[in-house]
Amino acid sequence: MPKKTIAVDLDDTLNDFTQTLRTASFAYDSSYAISEPVFNGYVERLRSGLREDTDLLSTEYSFFRYKIHARCYQLAHAREDGVEFMQWLRRNQWRIVICTHRDLRRANDLTRTWLAENGIPFDHLFTALNKIVFCKAWGIAHLVDDDGFNIAHGGNYGVNVYYPVMEKHRSLQPHAARPFQSFEEVKRWIQE
Amino acid sequence: MDPRVGLLREFSRGFTPGTAKIETEQFGFAFLEQLLADGVRLEYGELTATRLLHKYKLVDIPERRMDEFLQAHIDRGCNVCRYFDARENDVFCFNLDNNHKTENTVVIPEMELAVQALRSCLQDLGFEPLIVASGRGYHVWCRTEAPVANDRLSAFMLRAAVRALMAFHGSGRDHQQIKFNFYPDVKTINVVSLRLFGSVHAKTKVFSHVLGPEGLLGEDASWRAFEHFVRNRAISLALFEQALDALPVAP
Repeated sequence: MPKKTIAVDLDDTLNDFTQTLRTASFAYDSSYAISEPVFNGYVERLRSGLREDTDLLSTEYSFFRYKIHARCYQLAHAREDGVEFMQWLRRNQWRIVICTHRDLRRANDLTRTWLAENGIPFDHLFTALNKIVFCKAWGIAHLVDDDGFNIAHGGNYGVNVYYPVMEKHRSLQPHAARPFQSFEEVKRWIQE
Repeated sequence: MDPRVGLLREFSRGFTPGTAKIETEQFGFAFLEQLLADGVRLEYGELTATRLLHKYKLVDIPERRMDEFLQAHIDRGCNVCRYFDARENDVFCFNLDNNHKTENTVVIPEMELAVQALRSCLQDLGFEPLIVASGRGYHVWCRTEAPVANDRLSAFMLRAAVRALMAFHGSGRDHQQIKFNFYPDVKTINVVSLRLFGSVHAKTKVFSHVLGPEGLLGEDASWRAFEHFVRNRAISLALFEQALDALPVAP
């Protein structure tokens, strides 16, 4: 019998990434290689969610954004019910794939450290820009993720998506994904 | 054993042992189980935005398995990328990439300007680099007769890149259209890897041809150029130090 497998996102699913980005204090230092006024302007821009309007892959701002995001990965708090859910998955022999948008080339070590510090078990760590394609290709039927794209499209490709309710989900079109307040609900659904 | 495996092994002798990134369109848990046989561990995997291309960062790869991966690399079953040593290396590489999100496999005039300027700069210093088409630009490899500390290699590459970028001055071209990365880079050791010579670009499926003085070489000629580079082009430590001193300190 195939092993039960689930993919679980990190940012804004198992942690409070956006809240951390908006409220944490980021100290300026010269390693950012920009002036302090530019640094402060970039912090505000990042918090407001404005995207950089450029066709260039690598810019001063993209480097800055990565550094602040990396700091947030370290500072973000784990959801208590999320940690309990992941431990429940392990106790019940689920194969757990952490599936994230993070650039794991740079974030692998600090992501593993954060997971260990918070007692979150997993089997594999994957980064996927399109998680629905990833789940479909790997035969993963369950995805826990906050991203609107995955919520909208999972059902069309046979991937059951469960998402923590957030303000940003108010404007979503009708879809097959299931919103949850507590990971306890997800436990029930994946056993149906 | 395919003699090209031996060449790649010789070229790779200074890289982090037992660690590689494998690029392949194979995926799934059964495949992963095969990949992780013999004690190999997965640090992380990646599904890229290019079709179903996956990348797997593997550690604890036994020598025999590494040779198998190199053979698969030669046979176009996968690409093998290697990580530089954290302290010292006997190869270093300037990685010149087209810095655009779209249409970035086109060789833009800025790329031609930069790679020719870099080649001239290195040749003026007595180096004969191996320049390999990488898909989004070029990998410009140099090899030393013995390992050199990474901070010395980084200092040299920064100075040489600044010298090469001076070609943009007054040319009417924008240097931000291209991106220079240095390998090894003390800031990104263990983070980034480079595809070995002989790879096939993931997007374009084009072989990593060597760029000769007259243009790109064919596949067989590229392998011969690679062999010549591995066997004959090692820079002496004295020449390296002389070249480092000859270049002005970068700001």
